[in-house]
Amino acid sequence: MSLVQKGRWITLVALVCLAAVYVRALAFTPVERLQGPAQKIFYLHVPAALWTEAAMVLVGLAGIFYLFLKDPRLDRFAEASAEVGTVFATIVLTTGPIWGKPIWGTWWTWDARLTSTLFLFFLYVGYLLVRGAVRDPGLRARYAAVLGICGLCLVPFIHLSVFLFRTLHPQPIILKPSAPSLPNSMLATWLFSLVAFTLLYVGFVTQRYALSLARAAQQDRSSDAGHA
Amino acid sequence: MPDVPQNAGYMMAAYIVTAVILIGYAVSLYRRTSKP
Repeated sequence: MSLVQKGRWITLVALVCLAAVYVRALAFTPVERLQGPAQKIFYLHVPAALWTEAAMVLVGLAGIFYLFLKDPRLDRFAEASAEVGTVFATIVLTTGPIWGKPIWGTWWTWDARLTSTLFLFFLYVGYLLVRGAVRDPGLRARYAAVLGICGLCLVPFIHLSVFLFRTLHPQPIILKPSAPSLPNSMLATWLFSLVAFTLLYVGFVTQRYALSLARAAQQDRSSDAGHA
Repeated sequence: MPDVPQNAGYMMAAYIVTAVILIGYAVSLYRRTSKP
């Protein structure tokens, strides 16, 4: 089985899991009394946010290792992870305001968590634009690695921003030093959603990595034909 | 005890937007990796 096929199968399984998450969240998970049904946006928003941050951490780490090892596989992985991270960041930045409107009374506020997450999204977009703008593969990988490392440095700030500043954004209710403050039925739905998003990340990145590999092989073939 | 807020429309909107983004990207990847 080729890498693309593996990625497609993982993505398919992930999408089936996500459909099951929808059914469980919408039909079998209790409605939170104070926030109402809008609280269920949390089951998509938080796993997407975690993978938005994790994807950038992996882009940054791949960038650091690329600068030392010059292994093109690391650059390809970083490119794949950045594209998938951009998709997840788009989900975070759309579901967040949709939750904010009924709960806060506003779609958007320029507080530390929201603004730094928007900045991360722009960093992702900038990363992809740089990759598209620089033609020399070595230079492109170096510039991209530096941007990825900048993103890696931003992620802890985003995660800790709710502790460092007075923000409207809720404090963590799962990833915090003490035990998660969620009833078990809600926690189970959230964990199931996290598994679905993890599979989506793996499936998407595998396919995107295979695409980069195919493009590199095509470029090699066309440059060989040019020399011949 | 306060009434539960009636905001299911926002929830549905968020779930639909997420599905559209994820399925759209999955289709985009499928099309790009299917090209010869």
